[in-house]
Amino acid sequence: MIVVKNLTKIYKVYRKTGNLINDIFFRRYEDILALDKVSFEIGKNELVGFIGPNGAGKTTTLKILSGILYPTSGKVFVLGFSPFEKKEAFLKQISFVMGQRNQLIWDLPAIDTFLLNKEIYELDEEKFKKNLQKLTAIFSAEKLIQKPVKMLSLGERMKMEFIAALLHQPKIVFLDEPTIGLDIFSQEAIRNFIKDYQKEFKATIILTSHYLEDVKRLSKRLIIINKGKILYDGSLTAILQKFSSVKYVSLILEKEIKKEVLFKIGKPIAYQFPKVVFRIQKKDLPQVVTYINDQIPYLDLAIEDEKIEEVIKNLFENHKD
Amino acid sequence: MFKKIKRNLKIFLLFGYQSLKTTGQSRQAIFIFTLGKILRFIFLFGVIFLVFSKTKIIAGWSLKQAVILYLTFNFIDTFSQLLYREVYRFRPQVISGNLDLILVKPYHPFLRVLVGGVDFLDLLLLVPYFFILLFFIFQEKISFFSFFLYLTLVMNGLIISTAFHISVLALGLLTTEVDNAIMIYRDILNLGRFPIEIYQQIISFIFTFIIPIGVMITFPVKALFHFLSFNNVVFSFFISFFLLLLSIKFWQIGLKKYQSAGG
Repeated sequence: MIVVKNLTKIYKVYRKTGNLINDIFFRRYEDILALDKVSFEIGKNELVGFIGPNGAGKTTTLKILSGILYPTSGKVFVLGFSPFEKKEAFLKQISFVMGQRNQLIWDLPAIDTFLLNKEIYELDEEKFKKNLQKLTAIFSAEKLIQKPVKMLSLGERMKMEFIAALLHQPKIVFLDEPTIGLDIFSQEAIRNFIKDYQKEFKATIILTSHYLEDVKRLSKRLIIINKGKILYDGSLTAILQKFSSVKYVSLILEKEIKKEVLFKIGKPIAYQFPKVVFRIQKKDLPQVVTYINDQIPYLDLAIEDEKIEEVIKNLFENHKD
Repeated sequence: MFKKIKRNLKIFLLFGYQSLKTTGQSRQAIFIFTLGKILRFIFLFGVIFLVFSKTKIIAGWSLKQAVILYLTFNFIDTFSQLLYREVYRFRPQVISGNLDLILVKPYHPFLRVLVGGVDFLDLLLLVPYFFILLFFIFQEKISFFSFFLYLTLVMNGLIISTAFHISVLALGLLTTEVDNAIMIYRDILNLGRFPIEIYQQIISFIFTFIIPIGVMITFPVKALFHFLSFNNVVFSFFISFFLLLLSIKFWQIGLKKYQSAGG
């Protein structure tokens, strides 16, 4: 469905020197490598999360996949089309939702934008009504569609943006930071909507977000990108196996014991009787558990994986220059 | 082909309808803008009348001919503003990043960024302008052929105006540093209120061959009064066709170089 091979994108950015004459007559441009030979494939009905810090290349990738930007080099095929050619048959099958940007007509109710999109995407009356009903029902937004867009809250507006973008049942949906700036209730509503939409319409969804929670809750597959390069492409669970070398061991002690005995495991990352937490290397886990069972009286023992946020953070830090 | 034209026309009319609904949201603005435009028209009409009534002929143009030229300018200018009002809002679309959401829609972007915001306030003025123009034209002894040629060259002028507007859009894609490029176009076009012959030869040359506002406004009126040579008629069509192609090419280059806000 989506094939990307050696995709590279270089932005030309004007650099001010501070010298007025030079800035006017002898401008300097700098090449910024936004994507560096990126390759991946995405299949039908997949929901893929793109994660990366600011300027990693997430949005650039989505913009190239949707035909907004022209790639510097490499090959991109989406639904068999070359996106930048902007063929109508291609554009009718995709949709793009960007957080805090809007396609809605500001002064008019959202229904006016929906009616416009009905003609743009050539939807027949029956299909339009059916889809509108379904989408508004998922959001419980039947009354909002008649309210002028300028009167809606950010969360309500995002719901309308989603409906406008998905009325034509696109096969591929690009979501760029769809929950940015929203309160936790609206974030939750959007997440549930994305989940329900994918289930109902079997769409392929590519999601970028700064909120790892969005990706954790929605996608099985994760693509981690930094400085234009893909650092990881795989399942959420596999990332822990691949990049996490530590486990967290938490104990609820039965009684206070000598520190020498307890600290033999290692220096705890938190200790306040009766709870003590150790961060230990995975390879040492069997010996540590044996030692605890033999030497330390406890009421409860829990072994937890490293948090995915932490793994990703470490991954980015390891790939700093 | 016919189906595509029909669909594009339908989308264009829908954009126009939405634009009308949006305009209708603010009644005070409608009143103020319309009043301002009428006052501007009356004032400049008065200036031209004053200048030409004191002198019988200026640079070979009589008062009536100058009035027709001024009305022709107003018709072309108002028609362009009516149709291409969205061009004035293009830069904010680029800066805000909302242009991206237009580029992923399955229609030609010109339907939205060029003609997607028809200004109905200008329509209120265009109709009276048109009838005043016809009134003055039919005061003169005009042959059917020269009137037909006049209309054709006015339409040709609108094609040149289209090319200018497309170029402004393309410039907006390439750089956001040039603020209000459309206002530069407007300022230059305003010089076309008067016959190009009143300017020095070099400026007259520039307004004919480089920034052809003379071809847009002076040439149709010259054709109406049989002042225009056959070569210049041919040149008019050639330059409009050339500029239109050039502007479309410029737009295509702009799209390739477009970097998108926040990309």
